[in-house]
Amino acid sequence: MNTTKYANAVAVVKAMENTLLTRSDMEQFINASSTAEIESLISAKKGGNTGSVENVWEMIHEYAPDSRELEILLYKNDFHNLKVSLKAMISGREPQKYYIRPTNLDLNHLTQAISAKEYDVLPEFIRDTAEKAYGLIVDTSDGQLVDSFIDTATLSAIQKSSADFGSEFMRKYAQLVTVCADIKTAYRLSRMKKQKNFIENAICGSAELDKESLVRETLGGTENLLNYLDGTIYRETAELLRTSPAQFEKWCDDAVMELAETAKMKSFGTEPLIAYYIATEAEVKNLRIITVCRESGADRETITERMRKLYV
Amino acid sequence: MNSLGLTLAIVGAVCAALFSGIGSARAVGLVGEAAAGVVSVDPSKFSKVLILQLLPGTQGLYGLLIAILLLSRIGVLGGGAVDLTTQQGLMFLAASLPIAVVGYFSAIAQGRAAVAGVGITAKKPEHNGKGIIMAAMVETYAILALLVSILLIYNIAI
Repeated sequence: MNTTKYANAVAVVKAMENTLLTRSDMEQFINASSTAEIESLISAKKGGNTGSVENVWEMIHEYAPDSRELEILLYKNDFHNLKVSLKAMISGREPQKYYIRPTNLDLNHLTQAISAKEYDVLPEFIRDTAEKAYGLIVDTSDGQLVDSFIDTATLSAIQKSSADFGSEFMRKYAQLVTVCADIKTAYRLSRMKKQKNFIENAICGSAELDKESLVRETLGGTENLLNYLDGTIYRETAELLRTSPAQFEKWCDDAVMELAETAKMKSFGTEPLIAYYIATEAEVKNLRIITVCRESGADRETITERMRKLYV
Repeated sequence: MNSLGLTLAIVGAVCAALFSGIGSARAVGLVGEAAAGVVSVDPSKFSKVLILQLLPGTQGLYGLLIAILLLSRIGVLGGGAVDLTTQQGLMFLAASLPIAVVGYFSAIAQGRAAVAGVGITAKKPEHNGKGIIMAAMVETYAILALLVSILLIYNIAI
């Protein structure tokens, strides 16, 4: 890949990194006396630009000469929107307000395509999943099964696209996202004591944690699964799941951020752009944690404990 | 008159100007892209990134200098071209190669270093000088090549 073609976009992103919120900014928000004060502090820090993920995506998309690889980052939103569209069609509801943005899909187009069952007009990475998911929902009327089918298809699509045209960085990202999702799913299903067919449908598998082993250990129960994880390079996740699943969730987000941090040293290629998008997602997530925790009356220590790692 | 010798010497002058010029143009363009990205977000950094953009432009100037010196030495610029043997022509061609080859590659390398310097300027403008020094280090090798080309051009007996 010709990485120098991203020189302009990377420089824009490097300049924009100065507007990202820091740990001390977050501490200020945590210590603020009210939600209104938090909003005014954010406004002061960001100069009126709240740095929404959608705005950041538009900026990256505008500057990047080729955003094909970057679009993999939005697959999660795209497949979520597919779920929304299918459920809206089945229940006869309006899907627009449930859609997540940014997305690679034209949402009106998606709604029409799903309603008319014209899957050929959808992008290739989601086409087969849309058709199969519709078949599954018609045959089984099991929303949970369809959700897990689409979730697995999301991870498969991320892995496939990363392998086909992604950088080494994107492949590592795909691997990490898949591993985190698979562990989370396996842990949940082991506690729910789900059947083998359901587990097989819900776990994607990856080079580091293969599907067969995960399914087998999940069927054996939670302790069996955690013992299995103890013997892998993800033993830390087993310890966290034993003590606090919320800390495991935080570990997953922090692991993605640690990967993103490796892009700080890069001056060329897509890595800094991907990292900036991940950084913005983390920033938005942290702000949401602060807001929700404060509304639920959580103390400062609890909020601080839940804060995700930041890029700057 | 041995026209092949003179032709080879002129090819040498062309190579010096051509390759170092192409290298500089590519590198200055690359840094310019990065610099424009920073300026689009923060126009106050224009002067700082401009210095970085200028750095890889020197190789093109060195190539031009060697071309002029070579053409002057063989009398082409003065209108009275010297009668060169094939061997002398090849020597002049060889004399131009250090700046042609090193000029091209050092310009590209310096451009990449300067782009990294633009990144430093974007994030930590107070450390802009460090980015300039790092990019300027690459210049050493272009200067060495320039010196070798000059020494050769002036010491080839005609």
